[in-house]
Amino acid sequence: MIDDNDILLRVRHLKKHFPVKGGLLRRQVASVKAVDDVSFDLPTHETLGLVGESGCGKSTLGRAILRLHEPTSGQVWLDGIEVTAADKTRLKALRRDMQIIFQDPYASLSPRRTILETLLEPLQIHGIGSKAEQRKKVEDLLEVVGLRKAVLNRYPHEFSGGQRQRVGIARALTLNPKFIVADEAVSALDVSVQSQVLNLIADLQDEFGISFLFISHDLSVVQHISHNVGVMYLGKLVETASAKDIYADPKHPYTRALMSAVPVPDPKTKSRRIMLSGDVPSPMNPPSGCPFHTRCPEAMPHCSQQIPAATNVGSTASPHWVSCHLHGDEQTPTGPATKPPNAAD
Amino acid sequence: MAALLSVEDLCVEFRTDKGVARAIDGVSLEVNAGETLGLVGESGSGKSVTSLAIMGLIPSPPGRIVSGDIRFNGQSLPGLSQGAYRKLRGREIAMIFQEPMTALNPVFTVGSQICDVLRRHMGLSRKAARKRAIELLDEVGIPAPDKRVDEYPHQLSGGMRQRVVIAMALSCDPKLLIADEPTTALDVTIQAQVLDLIAKLAKDHGTATILITHDLGVVAEVCDRASVMYCGRIVETGDVGDIFDRPEHPYTRGLIQSIPRIRDDKLGRLPTIPGIVPDLLDLPDGCRYRDRCPQALERCGNFDPRLEQHGNTLAACFNPNSEAAK
Repeated sequence: MIDDNDILLRVRHLKKHFPVKGGLLRRQVASVKAVDDVSFDLPTHETLGLVGESGCGKSTLGRAILRLHEPTSGQVWLDGIEVTAADKTRLKALRRDMQIIFQDPYASLSPRRTILETLLEPLQIHGIGSKAEQRKKVEDLLEVVGLRKAVLNRYPHEFSGGQRQRVGIARALTLNPKFIVADEAVSALDVSVQSQVLNLIADLQDEFGISFLFISHDLSVVQHISHNVGVMYLGKLVETASAKDIYADPKHPYTRALMSAVPVPDPKTKSRRIMLSGDVPSPMNPPSGCPFHTRCPEAMPHCSQQIPAATNVGSTASPHWVSCHLHGDEQTPTGPATKPPNAAD
Repeated sequence: MAALLSVEDLCVEFRTDKGVARAIDGVSLEVNAGETLGLVGESGSGKSVTSLAIMGLIPSPPGRIVSGDIRFNGQSLPGLSQGAYRKLRGREIAMIFQEPMTALNPVFTVGSQICDVLRRHMGLSRKAARKRAIELLDEVGIPAPDKRVDEYPHQLSGGMRQRVVIAMALSCDPKLLIADEPTTALDVTIQAQVLDLIAKLAKDHGTATILITHDLGVVAEVCDRASVMYCGRIVETGDVGDIFDRPEHPYTRGLIQSIPRIRDDKLGRLPTIPGIVPDLLDLPDGCRYRDRCPQALERCGNFDPRLEQHGNTLAACFNPNSEAAK
């Protein structure tokens, strides 16, 4: 069992609802439940992969954890400090420890700034080191991400997609964070470049012991890079387990369908696909009971009435959480919560 | 029997501010009726330009077909008048684009857009066209087609929109279907539905299909043969089984190895292809893959390899994998 002290990031009952305004007075008429009661633990030096289809709330979850979106409710602890309770000053200090890598390196780098200016900014904002030290730090970072020093005075448009993503990674590393959210960090890259960047991320984890929340729609990429994998559907985590278990023995019907839909790059294995009918329902008006019951090939009558609780179908040492009426029942209605961390007591 | 479509030694150039870029350089390929050819490559490799050239849609200027021939059903396409091409497009050769939202007109209902095609090419009456449109929507698996036919593209989900585009492409029973990254914008569960649909319809109607994609997984699942493109050239062509089993070109092998796979056991490092794709305006001499190739020979820098039979596939390489292994 993982010791509580090894948990770097703890998320409990995190919710992010976006108001939908309408009518003459722009009053709130509904809300989009982008993230709806998500709980998980991320140990130090590990990667949690987060998969799901577009609109399932995976990016919103990443941003709500960093408080780039202010969560509606729920708690997040980073290294024992409650992120969700931090005031402005405290949050700024916390941001040193938690960073993000965005999907589109074209959009996330300022076209008017040189690479040097972009990479210096975090150090200047947090007032770290003298000018010479800052410059040294930036040069070191470039080496870490595999770029030459000569690029410092160039602008983003002079780089290829892969190089730009390396700059994005370098920027996330400037403040020596403990935790990085990688939001579709390799999705915009070609296969040959994607593998280079994936290896870089794995190297960084080994070298600096960073924990990653790796968000991607690509299941093979996630399985490759993650220790644990969480599957999201309509704002909820429906299954969480070690990468090995979840791919070898997916429990949730949605996970199974998702896995079987991935095209396998081997013409000899004609995969047997589990076809899901229809589309993902709108998160504004999610189905009652289990959110997946409208598309589930194994739905039972009570699936549309009761929300399934998260159940551990694995062992204590290697937990495998699944929220489905097919597996176990009503244990903890709170998700994979063991006990609240000491820091919060 | 001659192939339905044969592209011979096609070269397309684009004039840019920095010079003339040869986007495709000596591309040859053949597709037979009922067959699915996968055209694979990374961004900028020339796969989309190849398909636009076949469709006669190269924007000119700045682009132009410099040399080579495209023969469809025995007829040479590059010299056709715009009017003759227009009769062919949609009727004989149809195309499915990556992003269905930009391929559909947002101010017309999907039904009226399908009816347009049917009335123009098949000469159907308004009433018959509407009836056929509903049948087509039903065939591509859209629920309640008699209602959906009067909806606008924005009222449909991404997967539905792509189905409408497919219905439109298939409305005149084309002989050749070109699908350019048809599932890239879709989620994986929807992608599976759409790929199955394209494969099924191609089989049912005996349509020749060119599937353009960067996803080798998609190729392995739906294609009969595959051509791998790199820097404006086809570097390897063969049956899908051979391409994945015993690729001859080092680039093909590099690509296949660098895909992360489900069910790998270890959290290891992925094999990678070092370096980046060279700039089309500044290509190296000799083989274009030379600078990234682990088994480059001296003459790779001086001479240009042509497609030749190596092992079970055609590969443009002086030191193909079967040779290098000796």
